[in-house]
Amino acid sequence: MLEIHPSYPALASVAEKYPTHRGSLFQTYNDILLAQQWRDVQVIDLARCKRGAIQGRRPRTAADADLLLHIVPCSLAESISLAWIQDVFAALANPPSIYLAVVSDDSSIVYYKLSSGIVKPSI
Amino acid sequence: MSSGKSKGPNKGGARRHENDRIYAHPLPLIFSDPSSSRTRSILGLLGLSRSQVINPHCEGYYDPSTRSVWVVNQRDSEILWRRGFFGKGNLSRSEPSWFVRQVKDRKSRQVDSGANKMTSEEIREKRRADRKQFKLDRAAAIAKVAAEAETIFETEGRVVVPALFGPEIPSGSTWKSKTAESERESSGSLENAESKREDENEGEEEEELLEDMEHLQLTLSEAFFLAWNFDCLTILDPETACFDEPLSLPEIWTTFQQIYLAPPIPTLPTPELQLDNPFLIHYAVYHHYRSLGWVVKNGLKFCVDYLLYKRGPVFTHAEFAIVVCPVYEDPQDQEVSITNLRNASPFTWSWLSTINRANSQVMKTLILTYVTIPARSRLSKEMLKTPACFAHYSVREVIVRRFIPARMRD
Repeated sequence: MLEIHPSYPALASVAEKYPTHRGSLFQTYNDILLAQQWRDVQVIDLARCKRGAIQGRRPRTAADADLLLHIVPCSLAESISLAWIQDVFAALANPPSIYLAVVSDDSSIVYYKLSSGIVKPSI
Repeated sequence: MSSGKSKGPNKGGARRHENDRIYAHPLPLIFSDPSSSRTRSILGLLGLSRSQVINPHCEGYYDPSTRSVWVVNQRDSEILWRRGFFGKGNLSRSEPSWFVRQVKDRKSRQVDSGANKMTSEEIREKRRADRKQFKLDRAAAIAKVAAEAETIFETEGRVVVPALFGPEIPSGSTWKSKTAESERESSGSLENAESKREDENEGEEEEELLEDMEHLQLTLSEAFFLAWNFDCLTILDPETACFDEPLSLPEIWTTFQQIYLAPPIPTLPTPELQLDNPFLIHYAVYHHYRSLGWVVKNGLKFCVDYLLYKRGPVFTHAEFAIVVCPVYEDPQDQEVSITNLRNASPFTWSWLSTINRANSQVMKTLILTYVTIPARSRLSKEMLKTPACFAHYSVREVIVRRFIPARMRD
């Protein structure tokens, strides 16, 4: 069903390569592109982690609008270890932080921000 | 919270009446009686009724990648949401409102609109912006008081302890959104309009026909509940060759279970149906609470499996948070199990404490729902071919409340 969705072509290559994670990638891509309205949204292939990820920038009106941010989708059924998280950071060339998108089967997505190292609270 | 809820054109009572009208039916099926009230009362005395069941006959497509059923048709989407709060818009917080938000966005770019009725996403953004501003104001006030205490000490030598509360420091109840709502909206929208007009002139702002990219997504439990109990949902399989074939109930029953049993290597045959399939466990819980009248929604945001609403998300916040704990009647079954069931082993105290704390913070009561999986030795394989196997599953609840002996004396 998701193959015939208009947004599928942008994901097709990565989705075909890792069919188990197709659903969460599709869900997250649509949420980021259409609902959150991020700019310069692209799907990237994390071969080392055997899944796809998404990169993009926040809408122009947001804070940090020019930062390139990375989002890694995963589903509620998976279990995630520290090694997994470290792999993801390494595969993305060690950005200061990444977003983990946990997708549920009713299309709810919860985003977690994971930073490498200690981060001071903003306020 | 602080500035008081924004009361737009639908203040309190009017909004409640409108909600009562729109969400009047708790289920997709409606009973209607064409006869006059006199005929109805006469027939009623005899125990008869001419009321008919009106079935909306909705359609949905089964999608194995997202393990859900998609309702693409707008009429069906609306009916399923409004009559029972089934499903969730995949680009929205609850009801599919993406298209409406896009249209509004476009309109506000062209015309400076005043305060119209906001979608729930817009209300949420406004609430977050207000809270951020409140925190900034409070931090500034606290810093100011501390600085004053410093100067007093330097000039007069008197020690004043800077207060963290008090008349000068805004608290949740006293803080008011600095600029009036309308001012902020008009200045905000002016800024947005200006910057967006610039974008339009610079880039290629395609104001082409907007296509609705959103659908209503039903979980497998919801879809099965509607199809099996009310026969008001037809589930189509988009993979079939020429045109979409509706799945029969037995096919739905097996397909929904097999999706969880899919082998890691596609060439291996699908294993046979199991008693501890996550679909069976979750459906048992879903059906249990729905049949008691609760509206059951996903609880991902609160670290739990389900949230129970008394009437619906539109009316009040969820009062209960459900964590599903499957229990095997026969412990041996657990050892040979091929499905990886969550929470099938007891969880640690720290985890239970965490979930309880997270939910008490948002004023929800945590409920542990134990589902007993019948022993394989007791049930034959034939039982799994129909939902009749549910008679052998039991659902029990345990409510968890934190007890603080020093404070709770009543």
